Amino acid sequence: MKNINSVFVGLLLLMSSCNFFTLDTPNDPNNPSLGSVSQNASRTQVQNLVTGLESRHRDYLFTVTALFGTLGRELWYLNASDPRWQTDWLGMNGRQATPNMFGYLNTYQQPYFAIRQALTVIDAVNNTNTFTTEEKNAISGFSKTLMAYQYLIVAMGQYENGIRIDVKDVQNPGPFLPLAESLTQIKRILDEGNTELGAGGTGNFPLRLTTGFTGNGFGTIAALRQMNRAIAARLAVYRQDWQGALDAVNASFYSATGSLEAGPAHTYGAPPDAFNPLFFVRNAAVSTLLVVHPSVINDTIAGDARVRAKFFRRTAPVSVTSDGTPLAGQYQDNRYAANTSEIKFFRNEELVLIAAEANAQLNKTPEAVAAINRIRTAAGIGNYTGATTKEALIDEILFQRRYSLWGEPWGHRWVDLRRYDRLNATNVDVSLDRGTIFKQLARPQAEVNWDAYVQTR
Amino acid sequence: MFKSTDSSVAKLAFAMGMWLLSVVAVAQTKIGGTVKSGDGSPIPGANVVVKGTTIGTVSGADGTYSITLRQNNAILVFSSIGFQSKEVAVGNNSTVDVTLTEDVSNLQEVVVTGLASSIKRSNLANAVATISAKELMGTTQIQTVDNAFYGKLAGVNMNTNGGAPGGGVSIQLRGISSLVGASQPLYIIDGVYANNSVNRSGRASVTGAGAETQDDASNRISDINPNDIENVEVLKGPSAAAIYGTRANAGVIIITTKRGSAGKTKVSFAQDYGMATPQRLFGVDNWTEAKINTFFAAARRPIELERFRAANGQTWDYEKYFYGNTAPLSNTRLGISGGNDKTKFFISGALTDEKGIIRRTGFKRYSLRANIDHKLTNDITLSVGSNYINTISDRGFTGNQNNSGASIGYNIAYVPNYYNLFADESGRYPDNPYFAENPVAVTDRGINNTNVNRFIQSFNLTANLYKSEKALLKLVGQGGFDYTQGTTFVYLPEDLQYQRAQGNPGDVIWGKTENVNTNLQAALVYNWNIGKLNLTSQAGAVRLNFREDRLLNRSRGLAGGQTNLRQGTVQEIFDQRFQSITDVGAFVQQEANWDDKIIATAGVRWDKSTLIGDANKFWAFPKASLAINLANFDFIRSSSLSSVFSQIKPRVAYGETAGVPGFGTTFTPLNSANIGGLLGSVVTTAAGNAAIEPERAGELEFGLDLGLFNNRIQLEATYYDKQTRSNIQNLQLSPAVGISTIPTNLAQLQNRGVELSLGATIVQKEKFRWSSRVLWWKNDILLTKLGIPAYNLGAFGVTLGTFLYQEGFSPTTIVGTRPARDANDTPLNTDKVTTGAFVLGDNQPDFQMSWNNEINFLKNFDFNMLWHWKKGGDNINLTEFLWDGGGTSPDWDDDDNNDGVPNGRQRGLAPHNGADRWVQDATYLRLREAALYYTVPTSSLNKWFNNKISRVKVGFSCQNPLTFTKYRGYDPETSTFGLQAVASGVDIAPYPTQRRFFGHLVVEF
Repeated sequence: MKNINSVFVGLLLLMSSCNFFTLDTPNDPNNPSLGSVSQNASRTQVQNLVTGLESRHRDYLFTVTALFGTLGRELWYLNASDPRWQTDWLGMNGRQATPNMFGYLNTYQQPYFAIRQALTVIDAVNNTNTFTTEEKNAISGFSKTLMAYQYLIVAMGQYENGIRIDVKDVQNPGPFLPLAESLTQIKRILDEGNTELGAGGTGNFPLRLTTGFTGNGFGTIAALRQMNRAIAARLAVYRQDWQGALDAVNASFYSATGSLEAGPAHTYGAPPDAFNPLFFVRNAAVSTLLVVHPSVINDTIAGDARVRAKFFRRTAPVSVTSDGTPLAGQYQDNRYAANTSEIKFFRNEELVLIAAEANAQLNKTPEAVAAINRIRTAAGIGNYTGATTKEALIDEILFQRRYSLWGEPWGHRWVDLRRYDRLNATNVDVSLDRGTIFKQLARPQAEVNWDAYVQTR
Repeated sequence: MFKSTDSSVAKLAFAMGMWLLSVVAVAQTKIGGTVKSGDGSPIPGANVVVKGTTIGTVSGADGTYSITLRQNNAILVFSSIGFQSKEVAVGNNSTVDVTLTEDVSNLQEVVVTGLASSIKRSNLANAVATISAKELMGTTQIQTVDNAFYGKLAGVNMNTNGGAPGGGVSIQLRGISSLVGASQPLYIIDGVYANNSVNRSGRASVTGAGAETQDDASNRISDINPNDIENVEVLKGPSAAAIYGTRANAGVIIITTKRGSAGKTKVSFAQDYGMATPQRLFGVDNWTEAKINTFFAAARRPIELERFRAANGQTWDYEKYFYGNTAPLSNTRLGISGGNDKTKFFISGALTDEKGIIRRTGFKRYSLRANIDHKLTNDITLSVGSNYINTISDRGFTGNQNNSGASIGYNIAYVPNYYNLFADESGRYPDNPYFAENPVAVTDRGINNTNVNRFIQSFNLTANLYKSEKALLKLVGQGGFDYTQGTTFVYLPEDLQYQRAQGNPGDVIWGKTENVNTNLQAALVYNWNIGKLNLTSQAGAVRLNFREDRLLNRSRGLAGGQTNLRQGTVQEIFDQRFQSITDVGAFVQQEANWDDKIIATAGVRWDKSTLIGDANKFWAFPKASLAINLANFDFIRSSSLSSVFSQIKPRVAYGETAGVPGFGTTFTPLNSANIGGLLGSVVTTAAGNAAIEPERAGELEFGLDLGLFNNRIQLEATYYDKQTRSNIQNLQLSPAVGISTIPTNLAQLQNRGVELSLGATIVQKEKFRWSSRVLWWKNDILLTKLGIPAYNLGAFGVTLGTFLYQEGFSPTTIVGTRPARDANDTPLNTDKVTTGAFVLGDNQPDFQMSWNNEINFLKNFDFNMLWHWKKGGDNINLTEFLWDGGGTSPDWDDDDNNDGVPNGRQRGLAPHNGADRWVQDATYLRLREAALYYTVPTSSLNKWFNNKISRVKVGFSCQNPLTFTKYRGYDPETSTFGLQAVASGVDIAPYPTQRRFFGHLVVEF
């Protein structure tokens, strides 16, 4: 009986002790929480958020380069493991750019992840006392600059569908604004960023940035402001604000004589960092590869240095057959030395071309031709000797942009042809893939669903 | 002051006790006797109870018992498992001997109802399925426990992930209860909440397949030695499992392992040798110059024609080389069981060594078990079970991949049979020009190994606290832990073709995962009799803890032939995750049994968990049931019906359970992101919900059990309606807000089904006995409420087939693109789907049926056969998609409709580019198990071995020897995403499943 009693009492004590029935609400053992930065964030926390912004800022790169490049037939992403990269993206056999199209959601979603990150940085820095007013302006200005860059990516993909600009409230995002209105709003954000960077003090940016910025001369607040203006120049050209474009070019890091390669970059590295997604080992025997579109090779002017520098000729082509249509690529990207090489997201070369285009549109022919010649000389194909009508100059500029800005993380060819209403079979070679030329991507199914859900909730 | 009060209470208690004893000491008679079975042998451990009281005893090793009666006109009830119980009036006798007859039905078996009590099957109000050790492993040797349930349970939809050694079977009881969880049941082994998780190995990252669901890792339930199992009870739905609360939405599988018995020590040795061969091989298409010209692009044709001519008619059948091998299987077991009246033990050791049909794959298991039951006193029994297991599995490289070519099936789909991929004399493998990797090199050099060490320890304590003539109060305590430590190793050497093409050739991931499950439970059970009414009340509490920590490290750019992480250029921490969960519950239950005629139960369980938003809120799960044994009533007994019906039991039961959200659902984290040598914090893309609630299911079950002709024919019919609400759905936010999803409790599911079981002992003669059982079941799932607009999710998008989430449809509905018109240009129905796709099929079957036969002839021969028919249920067959893409489909070059276009380009409806091509019917009829055994007659044994050996059994058996199906894949059962409730049945180059053939020898001393 004694044994039973002690067992009984022991268990009873165990059960009745408060600890048995109490549970502690757990904290996340693996991550800090989002709530921890909304008030009184420390300098370290905001530093981490800004580095996070740099990380999110590059996530769009592979899908946008590959998809927009495919749409403009700058390149093909041949993938033997999954033919939908060809069949769906090239619009083979009557496929359309539907809301459920394969693999395009990243081009819509990744920029918005970056925008959410930027909003979080701005929010955190405004609700804490650990920075001076100037520092807050600098950080906020930098975030708004990257935010505008990301909005513009979505705007270019969605085009006439319009995009949402006000996305602060997670459960109540703002409406879709038509293209012109969206671009105006993006300009507003960019200009706010510019003003804030102007009030951000002097010297270096108050937090650490990666070598994509600091190693390319963009570690100071003044230089970041120039970067802001460069993006403004690109935007002005899309808005057909030619004088605005010239003004922005002059306030940017444009250099008439300096290197065409100058500009800020996305940086890459070995894990835990990410590898350069556009790097493929030269001549490797693989069945998945980004290849140069054959028409780019065929249309080039003989001796163009850009072709020799940017394109690598393989011994054996990579070929993939999808939906019965064979596609083969003999040339691959030659621009990156290693899988840790950085990728410039805005180069001086584009500013020169923007200057050329804006001047041509404003009928300032000598300045336009001078800029064109700058490009042509660097490419080793001699000065421009063609007609100097606005039409002819625009033709020439579009041709030069095709090679100067080939495979840049923007999909310039598609965007450029479309804004000049030239997105047709004359300018885009679909003879090989027998696909469709898409003017824009569809509004994603998830957005359509959300709007339907909002009606009923 | 305190002391004297204490002592006066003690004195009072003593006095009362003595008075009680004196009152009771009036009429005491001692009765004794022997309990024997039909052939005269004694039955040890038979229960002898005075009817209507708690006075009872148990027969000893020699079958004798002795009991003290305190009343006149007592009736003794004799019962033992496997025998029909018998009631004998004592009258004036002082010796009562009894002979019990064997029970062909299972109505006497005891089934768990509450957490601490059990009930006879004949009184059970739920459709609880029991699988005995004989049913489970008696026919053939099955590698893992989950694989052994096929065809033996009604109401379950089972689907194996593939044939890789080490198992991995999805078990869905009565449909699906969660849209985000895997809907796998809770496993309880001897009271321990067992770990049945799938631990990440990282293979999906090395091969490029994707996230961890495509790792094809094994399920930890494969560690358990199925031969240790005494019986399995399956609580299929909330009406039976309600008492398990928050983890029981998908049912509970209760496993009890073998225990010793009093008497002579028995030693049992068994050895099985066998072989495995692939279930089906398809062969590959041959090539001709014409086919080369049709298939390849113009630029490619010259090279291919050259290769074809160079081969000069020689072909290499890669499918046969990789899959068409015979794998040796071996299983060795030793069991020792014995004991006396106070202590019983069961010790077992088992060694399983089974190779796989793909080279360098296989499964090894070493298991050691000791189960000890000891009576500390007459009133306290302690049972302890210890199990150590070590499993080593090599599962190879199959399934999905992206770019790396590291999946055999995926890879060889693209290689024509005129190209030689084998190593030359110097051992160099040629580069594969058709795909990114040489599959022969991957099989010869790649490693995908998992090594698991596991300890399962259980403690069960039963203590009688208070006993009187009519009442018994006992304490039932249970505790235990399940500790698993697994090491995973995935390796592709640096000199493989694809690796050489990478910036950092050579890839290795070492993973260590540790799981610790602990549980502690205590209950008080009070059993009391009022006349013919027997009442059992129980109340108790339970606390569970689940911890999982994992760390995976990856290294790339490896030094020659090295696998140590430090011998790599790029070293990274691939994954680290901590996970800790605690659940607390309390329960009460009341059972009332009126003379075995009406049995009613009601109970409630309260539960809370750290996984739920409000960790300290108790959730209540009620249950109630009623069973009426009409055949025990006098008005039936005395009618003509009693000659036919030995059991008529209508029953009804209701219960509620819950499913908990996954770990992390309540957190909104900042994830880490590294760039340029700096650490970044990025806002999560999947927000958490700190107010998340558990998913709740309520099930109403009606049934009728009939026993005819003394239970020679048994029919069980059940209809159930399981409604789940607050189903967790990841609400897809507008992608523009930068957060993709937030979990919400918005959806509702409905599962309705029928389970029928008809068993009969068809022939029962001395030299021929045949018993047979047919099971038939179906389940219909319906998404009754989604709460958000309909969407498609799962598999690889609408162009290849995906799953539809829309109100009014089952979430297992497969939708995809399809031509809008059929071959006769008639427009095809849109079936009211609002997500822009067409209904192409449904992964859930129409119905399933199994037929089990046990035949005993010429006294010593046993023949068993189990058939399983699954009708309906569609798969997404992407293996054929790969074959067509590579020109290697067996019928690629044929032209069934003679229109000049080969079959390989003309699947499905014109213009032959929809997902309808890949959604295929996976109906199958399978002979699951068949065996023939011969038990050497005892008389011969005694003669030859001088009474030293008590039993020798030899035989042959096979598993899955025959399959009849129209499905054009390796196995209609497949799942490339592992255990999934919804997205199951996606077929991408799986490890082919096998037929297994065994020879058996069992010797008992």
